Amino acid sequence: MLSSTSVFAQLERKRVVQNPDVIQTFMAPRNINFYTVESLSPGELHYSIMHTFGEVKSGPGSLWGIDNGANVRFSFEYGVTDKWSLGFGRSSLDRVYDFTSRVAILRQKSNNSIPVSLSLVPMMGINTLSLEFLDEPYKFSDRLNFSIAMPVARKFNDRLSLQLMPVYSHFNRIGPELSLISSTINDYFGAGMAGRYKFTRSSAVTFQFTQPFSEADNLDPNLAIGIDIETGGHVFQMFFSTTQALSESYILAGPNGNFFDREFRFGFNINRLFKIGK
Amino acid sequence: MKLRRILPVLVLNTLLISLPGQAQVYTSSDGSVEFISTAPLNEFKGTSNHLAGLINLNKNLVDFYIDMNTIDTGIEKRNRDMRTTYLNTDKYPFAEFTGELISSFDPDKMEPQRATVSGTFKLHGVEQQIEVDGILEPNGDGLQLDASWIVLLKDYDIDRPGILFYELAEEQEISISVLLMESETAEGS
Repeated sequence: MLSSTSVFAQLERKRVVQNPDVIQTFMAPRNINFYTVESLSPGELHYSIMHTFGEVKSGPGSLWGIDNGANVRFSFEYGVTDKWSLGFGRSSLDRVYDFTSRVAILRQKSNNSIPVSLSLVPMMGINTLSLEFLDEPYKFSDRLNFSIAMPVARKFNDRLSLQLMPVYSHFNRIGPELSLISSTINDYFGAGMAGRYKFTRSSAVTFQFTQPFSEADNLDPNLAIGIDIETGGHVFQMFFSTTQALSESYILAGPNGNFFDREFRFGFNINRLFKIGK
Repeated sequence: MKLRRILPVLVLNTLLISLPGQAQVYTSSDGSVEFISTAPLNEFKGTSNHLAGLINLNKNLVDFYIDMNTIDTGIEKRNRDMRTTYLNTDKYPFAEFTGELISSFDPDKMEPQRATVSGTFKLHGVEQQIEVDGILEPNGDGLQLDASWIVLLKDYDIDRPGILFYELAEEQEISISVLLMESETAEGS
């Protein structure tokens, strides 16, 4: 029966869903290159195509890097339930095919009873480079890499969202044939940070930063800054990043330039959400 | 002769006593709402089955509200955009109407009757005085109400998306359909 304090006066206004989840912490399931806590709904398909190019400091002859060293990653992610999605992607860097699962463990609540959203993102990558030139045989298991990230994010208000993300990556086999900074360690630990600040209803400035903790020479932090533009079903993301990499494991383990020496490159993502089925 | 004099008084008394006892208060919490946005290249609708309503014929009070978070346009991304970016449902969770029936209505006449209500419609925190025509029909122990009207988004300070790929029409056609049942808590007054 309808709940009301008195039927002789107006109805008491009651929300159907008490204490709803905080939504739209980020504009897209990814913020620049990192997965976020922004999960998909059941039946929702997220398609993204991500690019980075050569370093901007290569100058106008290469249109500030656009002509050089493109890395392209496309991916599909499908919402199986409202807390679990499965993904598949492919990066041209080392020709890696990757498989991802994203699980929402916690969701920030509007009354702050849960102050943050937390997800787990395990990923497995398969390097499909032709490595016949190597003297030693390259087994299938040698081609595998694994990572797990745990984004923890809070939407502070309609404009500001921040995310912290411990990341661990493991490469079964390392060597100079891979686009990694070090050929001496297989395991990489690090912490990522990401954020967005909306300056209009449909635009935001974004950033990501990754600090590696593993001991290896020339293992530098990653820094990227960008702009998100929301256009309904699409989110366009343009950014400058110190890495060519587009996945968590390679961002952590791959080479990074010094942002303040103009060792950054232009990149952009196009995110599109589709509804599959009813 | 005495009986002739007394009978009308008895009947009148009976009516006066029984009228307050008759349920004149009708409520519902599961009415349906639909809005249709018809833009040149894009038409979509949003629906909800959580319309809460009250019609108190004794007090001539008509009161409805809907939790805006329950409106579903069929695409979750569009729902999220609508809630956070355009309707600000955290801040303005309800659309609501409170007013009165300004046309005559006979609850004992078991047929559809044209009905007009006048009152305050509040959406996105903005109040506007409106009049809405509909059909009110006694239905068993309840009242069936169907009505529709046009809402102009600018009247409620709702900005239309500028560069979104889905177009949002300035005019939104709102329809409601609800069966209100006699309220058990009603004692008439």
